[in-house]
Amino acid sequence: MKLPKLPVYGPSLWGLGGSLLLLGGVAPWIPVFPLIILVNLLIFAALAYSLNLITGLTGYVNFGHVVFMAVGAYSLGYSVETLRWHPLGGVALGALTALVVSLGIGAVTLRFRGVYFAIASLVTPLAGLNIVLVLPALDDGQGIVLNPAFEPLSWFYTIWIIIAAEVGLTYWITHGRLGYGIRAIKSDEDAAKSLGVNAPHLKLFLFALSGLFAGAAGGVYAWTTSGVFPYAAFDLTFSLLMLAMIVIGGMGTLLGPMIGAVIVNLLSRFFLAIFIGTQFIIIGLVVIVIALFIPEGIVGTLRKYVPELRRILE
Amino acid sequence: MPEPTVLVTDLAFGLLLGCVFAVIAHGLNLIWGVAKVVNVAHGEFIMLGAYGAYFLNLWFGFNPLLSAPVDAAIGLGVGVLFYFGFLHRELRGKESIGLQSEMVTLVSTFGLALLIGNLALLLFSPNFVGIPWSPGFVRVGFLQLPLGALYVGVASVAIIALSHVFLSRTYLGNAIRAYSQDIPATQLMGINPTSVAAIGTALGFSITMAGGALLSVWLPTGIHPTMAALYAPISFVIVVLGGPGKMWGSLVGGISLAVIIDVGQAFVGLSLATAIAFLTLIPILLFRPEGILR
Amino acid sequence: MSPTLEASGIHKYFGGVKAVQGVSLTLGGGRIVGLIGPNGSGKSTLLNVLAGVEKPTKGTVTVDGRRVDRWPAHRMVGLGIAKTHQIPKPFLAMTGRENVAVAMMYGRRREAEPAAALEESLRILALVGLEGRADTPASNLSVQQRKRLEFARALATGASLLLLDEIFAGLSPEELRDAISLFTRVQKELGFGALVVEHVMQAVMTLSDHVVVIEEGRKIAEGSPKEVVENPAVIEAYLGTEATDAAP
Repeated sequence: MKLPKLPVYGPSLWGLGGSLLLLGGVAPWIPVFPLIILVNLLIFAALAYSLNLITGLTGYVNFGHVVFMAVGAYSLGYSVETLRWHPLGGVALGALTALVVSLGIGAVTLRFRGVYFAIASLVTPLAGLNIVLVLPALDDGQGIVLNPAFEPLSWFYTIWIIIAAEVGLTYWITHGRLGYGIRAIKSDEDAAKSLGVNAPHLKLFLFALSGLFAGAAGGVYAWTTSGVFPYAAFDLTFSLLMLAMIVIGGMGTLLGPMIGAVIVNLLSRFFLAIFIGTQFIIIGLVVIVIALFIPEGIVGTLRKYVPELRRILE
Repeated sequence: MPEPTVLVTDLAFGLLLGCVFAVIAHGLNLIWGVAKVVNVAHGEFIMLGAYGAYFLNLWFGFNPLLSAPVDAAIGLGVGVLFYFGFLHRELRGKESIGLQSEMVTLVSTFGLALLIGNLALLLFSPNFVGIPWSPGFVRVGFLQLPLGALYVGVASVAIIALSHVFLSRTYLGNAIRAYSQDIPATQLMGINPTSVAAIGTALGFSITMAGGALLSVWLPTGIHPTMAALYAPISFVIVVLGGPGKMWGSLVGGISLAVIIDVGQAFVGLSLATAIAFLTLIPILLFRPEGILR
Repeated sequence: MSPTLEASGIHKYFGGVKAVQGVSLTLGGGRIVGLIGPNGSGKSTLLNVLAGVEKPTKGTVTVDGRRVDRWPAHRMVGLGIAKTHQIPKPFLAMTGRENVAVAMMYGRRREAEPAAALEESLRILALVGLEGRADTPASNLSVQQRKRLEFARALATGASLLLLDEIFAGLSPEELRDAISLFTRVQKELGFGALVVEHVMQAVMTLSDHVVVIEEGRKIAEGSPKEVVENPAVIEAYLGTEATDAAP
């Protein structure tokens, strides 16, 4: 049976968008406990989408993505605690500061190719952590404790808007002219440049967007956990989880980050219940297997080997 | 401005620590040269080396100097396993590593890091452990140097020197060097690239784990699975500083980094000194990617 | 229509290696200029400097009077100057059509709609005889086909000055004949100028209006193909054999 050609937007976008709209509609009726779990899932999905914008699309493996999240978290903490802003303002500030930081970091590190970029990105969280530890404005690393109201519905809608924006943006980027330029860069950056693709600009653009959204998500995260502490904020485990999500789901795809977030979240909760610490072992194992045998992730591999799904799944 | 005696002490300690840093980076340097990719789980293997020394001490009373060769032997086996598990499929028959393969190895070794690190957290005690080995001190002028640190410093330089001799004077060593520079040429010389790559990787892991054992002397209360997160970036920065593939680069890079941190912390505190030390990576990559050594 | 590129006193050093030492040349106006020289004479390096891939250590490059020596490659494309690679670099995961479409979307024309670019690509692919392979992944193309794709992509950027790096290398005599006639045909139709870096004498001598010879980074001769072939310095540089094979 041939699926009717959907006007303008693809089936995946309809599916994902529709699900999000549905969720948004029924949210006020979701009981508190599942809502909190959902919010947590969506935060990680938002982080996955943000990493997808740079690592998924260009192949530049950013181990230091957690820095943007930390910047967002600290911005929220500082603005709520010291400046007495409403948390929403804090989230916006988080996005903005993370954007500025990402522009600064990206302008330098994106000049490095492949492995060297990965290494430089590995070093940035450590440098960031040590710098935050000595900043007097942030209490020399004491951490910030917040006392916000318990508002899961506000959390939900904030992260919902962020994800909706990310999904829409990812779709728009990959389907337009930019999508071709990005694929060209990923395939052969020098060849792309020789055809007029302004690779440095494009990479920085994506890197900055990824920072912006990670900062926003980090702000929401701090809001929900009511506290920001240096070692926790710059914990490389976050970077690893985000990377795991897009690797498992499918790097550079539209559905991948969401699928990856769901799987990683499920695995985490399941194995956490069995024995604390085992969840990362399992996730690590899954990442190894996927990276070695189906590096395109779930969505990518399905598209590769099942031609009928290529039109629907992306 | 700190006292001159403090500065000189810091310098001396930095030098000694730097030698051990050099060993753990040297292992990475070898693997990078042979496999052309970075092992993100490198820190985890250093950690395993340190734990190896710890358990050998706990069960058999070995001091770290004695544990190092044992760790090295274990490392050989681990290295071969790693090669066939992670690298063989990507490198087999290829002339140079492609972009996709690079990414695959980066991601798969990162998964390995997660796996090993958390397995260690589960199996080993969550406490920070250390090896109670203190052979005393030696006075050099006003300096009070711990003999343990001195011994492992010397051992470290010895390891690097030995590896240098092996790589430049033996047939196998030269084959490994040839492989890391030009795979087709190696094949033309009648050398089996798989064997060479596997042995080169094994050697790298062996040195890494021995380095972990030696490093334990500097961590009387610091052996813990999370140490991997610190020593992996340290190794990477050292390799870049010294120059990937350059034989003495690890030593130069290791000492430089340790000295920057040790002497720097007297001026700006440990946190800032560490941050600065790591950030030296950036100007090096920008202006002198071949490393400090010419 | 075709920009005038003037390179003046170009030096390019890589550490201690002096790849190019004081070369000047002028390109443009639909002329085909051949650049020949023994192996390692610095031809490719010079080409890379002109294309913006490398910055000259000394010297200037101007296009219609504007200094562009510090410009990166993608900006040069905007001026209508595009290069091909010695070893073709197709986007392997993309089809022939998509490869050319990238050039259309990012070259001078800046086509904003992927669909339109993909449609137009077929026309360019037909020019080089690859329309039958438009929808196969580039990874399935033979070396000769990849070279044609490389050429098609450069054309698709809308370039009026092409910098071609050994585009005729590694072809059988028959393939060479086809390639030369293809080039002539396309050049006549589109009217671009080109710098043709070559080892294959037959191609250079047949196609060039003007030939420049460099050896060890320096220009040793310049003139019409006939003049260059009879120049004793050139013959000496090539040790005689290749220059005499150059009869068109």
